[in-house]
Amino acid sequence: MFEIYHPPFTTEVEGTEIIVEKQEDDLIYKRMFEGNEEKEFLLLNSYKDILINPIEPVNLPEKITSFLLIDFKKPAIIRPGDRRKIYLKFPVEIGVFVADKNENYEVIDTFTFTRIKYTLYGSHTNGIVCRQWESDVFTEEPETDILYEGFIELDIFNDSNHHMEITKALFNAYGMKLYYGDKRLGMKASMKIINKLLAETDFSRYPTTSRFKRSIELYTARKLAITSTKGIMEFGINE
Amino acid sequence: MNNSSTADIISSYFPALSDPVLQAVTVIAILFFTILIAKGITIYLQRSLKDKMDKEHLNILIKSIYYGAIVLSIVGVIFPLLQIDTSGLLVAGGVVGIVIGFASQSIVGNFISGVFLMIERPIKIGDQVNIDSKLGYVEDIKIISTIIRTYDGLYIRLPNETVFTTSITNYVANLTRRFEYVVGIRYSDDADEAIGIIKEIIDREPFALVNPGPSVFVDTLGDNAVNIIVRIWAPATQWYDLKMKLLWVIKKTLEEKGIEIAFPQRTVWFASELNTRNYQDNTEMGYDKQ
Repeated sequence: MFEIYHPPFTTEVEGTEIIVEKQEDDLIYKRMFEGNEEKEFLLLNSYKDILINPIEPVNLPEKITSFLLIDFKKPAIIRPGDRRKIYLKFPVEIGVFVADKNENYEVIDTFTFTRIKYTLYGSHTNGIVCRQWESDVFTEEPETDILYEGFIELDIFNDSNHHMEITKALFNAYGMKLYYGDKRLGMKASMKIINKLLAETDFSRYPTTSRFKRSIELYTARKLAITSTKGIMEFGINE
Repeated sequence: MNNSSTADIISSYFPALSDPVLQAVTVIAILFFTILIAKGITIYLQRSLKDKMDKEHLNILIKSIYYGAIVLSIVGVIFPLLQIDTSGLLVAGGVVGIVIGFASQSIVGNFISGVFLMIERPIKIGDQVNIDSKLGYVEDIKIISTIIRTYDGLYIRLPNETVFTTSITNYVANLTRRFEYVVGIRYSDDADEAIGIIKEIIDREPFALVNPGPSVFVDTLGDNAVNIIVRIWAPATQWYDLKMKLLWVIKKTLEEKGIEIAFPQRTVWFASELNTRNYQDNTEMGYDKQ
């Protein structure tokens, strides 16, 4: 599904159908789910390319945060001073982009096949509302269905003097770099644990596998002013 | 007395100048240094108050300090140097000050309240608030007054003194907010099943938060219904939309699964059997043909 399409075209996956039809010089974009129309609009230009690729999973049903919180199904414990690599799964959101003459991509539609839930990380006054996802902790690359889940290769470094139990990881979408292949989607991130109540996460610019290609990220495409790419976990790494 | 002594002190440090060229150079030098110091203070204030005040009001404060410093320097330093007697000006200013002071008591009160509101910031533009029983959106916070747009679209101007001295409820100051329903089901229905159905509905809602989690439980065994309390946390920005949507979804889903919402009813027991006939009996006897 994740590729460049040349209108007019129709593509269908998991009951969702994307139809782009020509109407004189313009295009009509339709997204249907099981025969019911979910979205329809007119593109007042005849775009040559329409790109469908995964985007940061923090945009649906509407954008209220740029943070993704992954709750571990089982806690992971790491020794002081140790550095370990684990794998987590994250939900996939899909973006439909059009390109202008200067090859700048602009998102026109987003959708997902996954369950969407939000949660609060931290306090009611100073915490962060985040997209929530629950994942097992894997020690090697997990099997994933690219339409539903990707994986994060998380390099954890315990910079404290104590054993640390980790039950969650907070990621900032502004730093996410998504790479995908034919069947898999991955991100590479790091987590530095400073103490029980403070850790920071960040993303690597490099793919987990060199064969993967870089996704057009929503935030990059929108050219939003970036304040920080890090996820600061100042309310702890476990319950 | 005081004024003349101040002038004397200044004159002792800066003796009066007779040469007009020297006078002009000194005045320019004093003005230059005053502007330099005022600029320094305003830059410092701009940096330190940047996160505490909004841009518009910070600009007003900075301009007031900047021009105030220049006026103070002219009246307090330059006038004595040029041997301009300011005592008359001060007396006149004092009288005028008293008059203006009485006249503008409330304005000054509102102004000071406005400054404290900008520093304390209990409300921001766009917040949904209840101030002095006025509910609505904060449209603007000015130096003297605060503008509220009520939910039914009315424009309300509240003096800042009122805003500052009354209790303020800010509905969106915290990130999350809880709402509650009471769902009354019949005694003949299974409350466990109803709770399960309601939890499933909540679980499907993206903005019904995972943490803090929802709580659904039998609260009271009422006169006519088993009352189930449903408490849901949602992001403060999505709270109202979710609250409006979910109750009807719960009602419809429960009814689809055969669980009815109870309505007030009373079972009456009679001491002896009533002498009643059913409809069929009546038709047989021909009452409906009358």
